[in-house]
Amino acid sequence: MSLETLIPSLILFPWLGSILVWAMHDRNEKRIHMTASVVSIICALVSIQLTFQIGNQKIVYYTFGAALGELSFSADAMGVILVLIANVIGSLAVIFSMDYMQGERNLSRYYAMILLFIGAMSGLVLTANIFIMFFFWEVTALCSYQLISFYNDDPNAVRGGLKALLMTQFGGVGLLFAALMIFNQVHSFDLNVFAEAAVNVDIEQGVLALIGFSLIIAAAAKSSQFPFFTWLPDAMEAPTPVSALIHAATMVNAGIYLLSRFFPAFAAVPAWKETMIWVGLIGILLTSILAITTYDLKRVLAYSTVSQLGYMFVAIGSGSVLAGQFHLLSHAIFKALLFLAAGAVIHACGTRDMRSMGGFFKRTPFVSTSFLIGALALTGIPILNGFWSKELILESVHKESSTLVLILMLISVGLTAIYTLRCFKMVFMGKNDYAHLHPSPPAMKTVLGILSIGALTSWIAISWFSESLKQTLPYHAIESLNVTEMAHHIFSDPITCFALGITTIGFLIAWLLPKKEFPESLLKLSANSFGFDSITSGVVQSIIASAERIRCIQTGILNWNIFGLMVGLLGVLIILFMGR
Amino acid sequence: MISKIIIFGIVGLMGIGIYCLMITRNLPKVIVALQVLIKGAMIAIIYAGDISGNMDLAQSMALTIIVADTIVAVIGLALAIQAREKTGSSKIQSISNLKK
Repeated sequence: MSLETLIPSLILFPWLGSILVWAMHDRNEKRIHMTASVVSIICALVSIQLTFQIGNQKIVYYTFGAALGELSFSADAMGVILVLIANVIGSLAVIFSMDYMQGERNLSRYYAMILLFIGAMSGLVLTANIFIMFFFWEVTALCSYQLISFYNDDPNAVRGGLKALLMTQFGGVGLLFAALMIFNQVHSFDLNVFAEAAVNVDIEQGVLALIGFSLIIAAAAKSSQFPFFTWLPDAMEAPTPVSALIHAATMVNAGIYLLSRFFPAFAAVPAWKETMIWVGLIGILLTSILAITTYDLKRVLAYSTVSQLGYMFVAIGSGSVLAGQFHLLSHAIFKALLFLAAGAVIHACGTRDMRSMGGFFKRTPFVSTSFLIGALALTGIPILNGFWSKELILESVHKESSTLVLILMLISVGLTAIYTLRCFKMVFMGKNDYAHLHPSPPAMKTVLGILSIGALTSWIAISWFSESLKQTLPYHAIESLNVTEMAHHIFSDPITCFALGITTIGFLIAWLLPKKEFPESLLKLSANSFGFDSITSGVVQSIIASAERIRCIQTGILNWNIFGLMVGLLGVLIILFMGR
Repeated sequence: MISKIIIFGIVGLMGIGIYCLMITRNLPKVIVALQVLIKGAMIAIIYAGDISGNMDLAQSMALTIIVADTIVAVIGLALAIQAREKTGSSKIQSISNLKK
């Protein structure tokens, strides 16, 4: 298939599948499972075929009449790799759901939303038009909201979904503002036109800074970074395969993708990179501590997702887009593995509270080993994929950033080791007297096996990965690396030894951590995300209160509404007249 | 001279439409006022297309307006008939009262 056919099929095929599944209306559960799986597997195969097209032809144009103009899609390595992640992990999540969601109600809605999400995610990363990107960006947010609130008779799920939708809207507004500013400057929504204008310094520095910082807000909200990080832990009310796909492997990466994509345009903007580093770093430290003090298995993983996305922010801020993108790939694999393994555990024992778990290693060795592989990749133990990408980030921080940033990053490495081992110890070690555990069915085991192999071996692709990025992204100045060079880079840097040493200390601390519960006050503070939840609720409450106050102007009488319209129109005309 | 007549026509039609919308409380009259207003706006769009040399776009927009305008009129009149049958009155407030 040619690129002109592959790109629209990656967006439209899952959307057609979504309509088809939706139309099935829960009539035949088995048929819904099968249809969704077949559609997602075909999408994964098409996305694999797309990887062979990297570099063949960079931009594809489609014309849809005069009103929409030309829609441009770009098949460069950055987008294609994310398409691959979205479709392959998407298909694995759907296969996993065949067992996990068995017997659930509203399955057609569940799968329809997942397929809609997969298509939108492909569109988001393949388009070269920032306005179309905004459209797909919003569709992913809508799917995320729908899936978090999937169990809509649970008030927590509905609350979590609304919170995610509202907080990611900050990101939507940031992106829309940036898109309109870009159009105002270069009279085009095309990313390539903008990149060229920005690199050639055709845009005023002040305006460029405004666009750059609004994109940081967009990325921080979407990728659940400081100060917007509180929505992701609450999004854990979603079914676990959704958490693995949307809230670990794909949608939350959209922010990282946005910043990586625009990096060359804003690299010279003063304080842009530093802001990114500190946004990432504060998020890493806060959420690492929160992960240590929580007892909900999925929340621990959610906090660790925020912290790993923070690593990518720091990597891009330190100028290493390659390290950021490589960690994105590694993280997508090992975090999907961790979430799905956690899902298998939750499926087996029916609770998310780690205090009532334990002793799973003997009872479910396959799931436990898969979780262990994911956990070791998360802590950065050689030779798993997390080790290589994390060390590349630390190396770039060592070279490009201040010593303070490096020290804080190393502390965060230790904190990661503490919360990961604490979690593993509580869930898989020790004893527990479960009379009956639901066994893990074959589909779950197959998915966990594939992802475990991915976590063990994906780093071998560094040569292809860096070469494709280098070839297709001329403005990003990406260094080409092969496995030997990467190993040389990492092992010749003393930071690697420091990081491994600190990880070992972290493991020791976690091992020696007393079994007794944390004080009530600390748990309360942690549940409130160190007061950030109160700030969010305060903002929402004040908006509701002000809306209550101004609702008196909504009389519902048509004549007054027309009068209001006329006053508004006059206001616009006056502003236009003053601007002339 | 012709352009002045057209502009007066546009302003006149839109002015009458807006004025009627502001003062009338009778649903069929509101729909008539809306029609007058929309016709003024349509002439404005066609005239704008003429003076900017972009007649194709103006024509397609005018056609879109005709379709939308007809739908608004049809639904509005259907509502008016239903409201009159249910409440015996054509006032807009009577439709609002239906929800109570």
